[in-house]
Amino acid sequence: MLEFILAAVRAAIPAGTPLLYGTLGEVYAERSGVLNLGVEGMMIMGAVSGFAVAQTTGSAGLGILAAAIVGGLLALIHAFASITLRVNQVVSGLALTMLGLGISGMIGKKFVGQPLAARLQPIHIPGLSDLPILGELLFKFDIMVYLGILLVPALWFVLYKTRIGVTLRSVGENPSAADALGVNVAFVRYAAVAFGGMMAGIGGAYLSISYAPAWIEGMTAGAGWIVVALTIFAIWDPRRALLGAYLFGGVRVLQFRLQPLGVSPNLLNMLPFILTILVLWLSSGQAAKRRIGAPAALMTAYSREER
Amino acid sequence: MRKNFARLAMFAMAFMLVLSACGGAPTTAPAAEEPAAEAPAAEQPSQEETLKACFIYVGPIGDIGWTNAHDVGRRYVDDKYDWLETAYAESVPEADSERFIDRFVVEEKCHVVFTTSFGFMDATLAAAQKYPDNYFFHVSGYKRAPNMGTVMADFYQLYYLNGLMAGALTKSGKVGYVAAHPIPELVRHIDAFALGVREANPEATVEVNWIFAWYDPAKAREAAEALIANGVDVLAFTEDTATVVQVAEEYTAKGQPVYSFGHYSPMAQFGPNSLVSGQLVDWGILYEDILTKIHLGVYTTKNLETVDYWGLLSGGMNLGAPVSVHLGGDFDTPINPAFESQLKAVKINDPILGEISIYDLIFKRIEQMKDPAVLFDPFTGPINDQSGALKIQPGQRLTVFELNTIDWFVEGVIGKAKP
Repeated sequence: MLEFILAAVRAAIPAGTPLLYGTLGEVYAERSGVLNLGVEGMMIMGAVSGFAVAQTTGSAGLGILAAAIVGGLLALIHAFASITLRVNQVVSGLALTMLGLGISGMIGKKFVGQPLAARLQPIHIPGLSDLPILGELLFKFDIMVYLGILLVPALWFVLYKTRIGVTLRSVGENPSAADALGVNVAFVRYAAVAFGGMMAGIGGAYLSISYAPAWIEGMTAGAGWIVVALTIFAIWDPRRALLGAYLFGGVRVLQFRLQPLGVSPNLLNMLPFILTILVLWLSSGQAAKRRIGAPAALMTAYSREER
Repeated sequence: MRKNFARLAMFAMAFMLVLSACGGAPTTAPAAEEPAAEAPAAEQPSQEETLKACFIYVGPIGDIGWTNAHDVGRRYVDDKYDWLETAYAESVPEADSERFIDRFVVEEKCHVVFTTSFGFMDATLAAAQKYPDNYFFHVSGYKRAPNMGTVMADFYQLYYLNGLMAGALTKSGKVGYVAAHPIPELVRHIDAFALGVREANPEATVEVNWIFAWYDPAKAREAAEALIANGVDVLAFTEDTATVVQVAEEYTAKGQPVYSFGHYSPMAQFGPNSLVSGQLVDWGILYEDILTKIHLGVYTTKNLETVDYWGLLSGGMNLGAPVSVHLGGDFDTPINPAFESQLKAVKINDPILGEISIYDLIFKRIEQMKDPAVLFDPFTGPINDQSGALKIQPGQRLTVFELNTIDWFVEGVIGKAKP
C-alpha cells in the first residue's frame, strides 16, 4: 500500500507540473484584474512551438524559451483586446483558446509521430538523489519540476512582500486609486498578462518536451481549463497553486492506477472535471465571504474617462 | 471613437473564430498527389481506365503504428501500378466517417474506398448500400455486403508467440498490457498473448490497462508506468505509439529491466536493449491483391459478400492470399538476438512435443501455424475464461466469426474485457 502511494505521488508531481506553471501565470494575470480564458490556447501553442524548436535545434532549453515567447506574444493579443480595446475579456480569451488549438494543429502537422530526440533528462543531485525512498520520491525529476517548485515561494514573496506585488494587487483591486497614485494601470496589466502567457507556454512545453515527450494535436486536452479552475481554487495565492496542481496531477495519474482494482476507467476519466466543478462550487462559497474573494476589479476594463 | 474600436475588435474576434475553426478541422486535405486536374475521373467509372482507390485513416499518417503502416501500403500500390491512383484522408473522427466517404464517392469519384478502423464499420456498410456501384473494403470489422469486403492482417498468432516469450522472460510473474479501446480485435490479441504467457509460465498473469485512445503518448506512458509500479516487468501493447517501448527502455537503462514487444511498425530502434520481438504487417501486398483483382474483374460489386481477407501466418482464410504478417521488432529479426540465450534456457513440457525450449517452441509453432495440414491455433480448447469456467471445449476451436466478435478474457488476465 505504501509503495502504491509513493509511486502515485512520484507520478503525480510531473503530471501536475504543467498545471503548476499555467496556474502561477494565471494567478498573476488575474491579480492584475484580467481574466484570461485563453490559457488552453497558449499552453497548446507552447507545446507545439516548444516541441518544434527542441526537435529542430536539439536543445530542450531553447524549446522552452521559444514556448515562453510564443505564449507571451499570444497573451499580448488578449491584452490588447481586453486592456486597450476594452472588449469583453471572456470573449477575447475564448477566441485565443480556439485560435491556439487551430493554429497548433496546423503548424504541428509535420511533427506528429516523431519521438523527441532532445528530451529533458532527470537531474542527479549528489547526496539527495541517493537517499533511500525520499531520493527516489523527491529527487529524481528534471530541472523544470524543481524550477516550478522554486517559483512558488519566489512569486509569493513578490506578490505579498514587494512594491511590485503591492502595485499589481492594487491594480487588480482598485485601478482608479492606483491610477491616482501614479501607477500606469495599462502597463501593469499588460505585463501581468504577458507573464501569464509565458508561464502557460512553458507549461505546455513541459508536456511536449518532458512529459509525453511527443507532439499530438490537442495534447493539452483541457489542461488549460483546469488551470482556470485551479486559479480560483488557489484563491489567487501561489502557495495554494502548488497544492492544487499536484492534487490534480494525482487525480490524472490515479486513472491508470485504480483501473486494475476494478474502478471504472470511464468514471476515472471524468474525475478531473468532476473535481473542477466541485472546486468551483466550493470556492464560490468562499468567495462569498469576500475576505478572500477574487481581485475586486477582475474582468472590468479600466478607463480613465469613465472614472 | 470607442464604439468603432469595439466594433472593429468584435469583427477581429469573429474572424479569429472562423480562422481557428478552419485550422482545427482535422486534416481533410487529401493526398498532395491527388490529381484534381485529371479529367477522366469525372466520367463514368470504367474498369479498363484508371481505378481510383481512396483510403480513410483514423489516425495521422505520421504515427508510428497502424495508420502509417496502411499508408506505406497505399504508397506501395500507388507507385507500382499506372492504372491506379489513390487519395487519402487522415485523422478522420469515427463519428464523421460517413461524411468523408460521401465526399470521396461523390466529389472525388473514388471507385474503391478502404476504411481502416473498426469504428468505421457501420458507416462503411451504410455507404455500401447507398452506392451499390462502388467497392468498399473495411479493415478490422466483420460486416460485409455484395459490394463490401473485409480485410484484416491479424496479429493474434503473433501475440501468442510474443506471449510465449513474455512468459519465459518475466521474473515477477506479472506481465502488463497497455490497450487502446475495448473492441474484439484487442480482446483477441490480449487473450492470445495471455495464452502464450500461460503456456510458458502457468502461474503468470497479464494485467490490462485501457487508455481509451489510439494515439496518446502521455496516456500510454502513464498506463505503462502504472503497470510497472504494480510489479510488471514485461509489457505488450496495442495502440499506435512507440511509448511503451520507450518507457521499457528507460527503466532498463536505469537498472530495472522491463521488456517490451513492438507493435505494427519496426520499433527495435526505440528499445535496443529491451525490445524482445513484436508484430509487423505489410498491408501493401494485401491492397495489391485486392486492387489487381478488381482491375482484372475478378471482384465485382456483386461478389464481395464472401471476400474476407484474414491475413495470418498461413496466408489466411482467403486461399492464395499473400502472407502479410511477420514476427519481430524489425523486419528479418523475429527475435532480438540479445534474448536468444534466455529463451533457449527456459524449457517446458509440451504434451505432444515433449521437453522443448521456448525458443524452439516458437519456431515450431510458426511452422505448425503455416502448415495447412496442421494449422495450429492458440484458441484450441480446453480454455477457461477469467472466472475459471470452461469456455472452449477440449479440442474445439473458435471460428473466425467467434474470433472476430470475442468479448471475454481468458484465465490469467486481470482487468475487464468490457470496462
